[in-house]
Amino acid sequence: MHEMSIALEVGRLVELELERNPGRLLSVGVMIGDDAGLEPESLAFCLEAVLAHPPFDGARPVLNRVPGDTLRLEYLEIDDGRPDD
Amino acid sequence: MAVRTIEVREKLMARNNELAADVRGRLAQSGVPMFNLVSSPGSGKTTLLERTLDLLGEELGIAVVTGDVQTQNDADRLARRTRRLVQAVVTGGACHLDASQVLKALEAIDLADTRLLFVENVGNLVCPASWDLGEVAKIVVLSVTEGEDKPLKYPKMFQQARYAVLNKMDLLPHVPFDLDRAVACAREVNPDLEFFFTSAYTGLGMESWFDFLRRQARVPVSA
Repeated sequence: MHEMSIALEVGRLVELELERNPGRLLSVGVMIGDDAGLEPESLAFCLEAVLAHPPFDGARPVLNRVPGDTLRLEYLEIDDGRPDD
Repeated sequence: MAVRTIEVREKLMARNNELAADVRGRLAQSGVPMFNLVSSPGSGKTTLLERTLDLLGEELGIAVVTGDVQTQNDADRLARRTRRLVQAVVTGGACHLDASQVLKALEAIDLADTRLLFVENVGNLVCPASWDLGEVAKIVVLSVTEGEDKPLKYPKMFQQARYAVLNKMDLLPHVPFDLDRAVACAREVNPDLEFFFTSAYTGLGMESWFDFLRRQARVPVSA
């Protein structure tokens, strides 16, 4: 039931990360344990709602389900606008 | 376009846990133990605290922080039983208290004049299990009007709790509640759980609860 609280914390951390690494956010990876006390579908729904707004530009949440009670923001995928190496 | 993947690997509960550590540190400095009362709605947390404040509020210098989704009715009820501050946190929709709310509530509490602190969490057996508030222990309240298998349905909460209060024992003759099964279900998920069997409404079985609290409260500073 506290999926929205967690989604907002993801938003806060992503925003901090975007300040360090500016660019257009494409996707956000979250690792979620089966015993983390969260419903993955509900978390995905809440993340979509949070990421729909600026500065997130409708980035896609990607949930990586794992055993245990892990709950962490894994990665951001951004387009930094620079040409490919 | 250049797509870059930035590894973050940040625990999503890290911020709450840091604030909980802050709460724990402040309370340890003052020697005040804090217990986090959790349960489903209607199991009798507020009545348990009313009885406790009536008998021990002054003796043990008990302060309370209450959390509710809406209204401060519980805080108002408890404030009638004590001269000490009862801090109400209205979560405005959130299903749990978090450590930042408790930290803020602590600012208004005179810890030097407090020997024991209770947090009455939002009535919910799911979410409060995930949020460390800086408590010494979670105390889960279960009443005999609920299902005996609640510990199996909500294992995380019963695993997180160190103590369980089985409340509304006065109603036991009137409801189809299997006490032994309830205890067995709770011990199945947490063999170390310590039980109190009470009726906060009638006062039945409250003595062992009171004795427990007397042992837990900060030792008073002698004059």
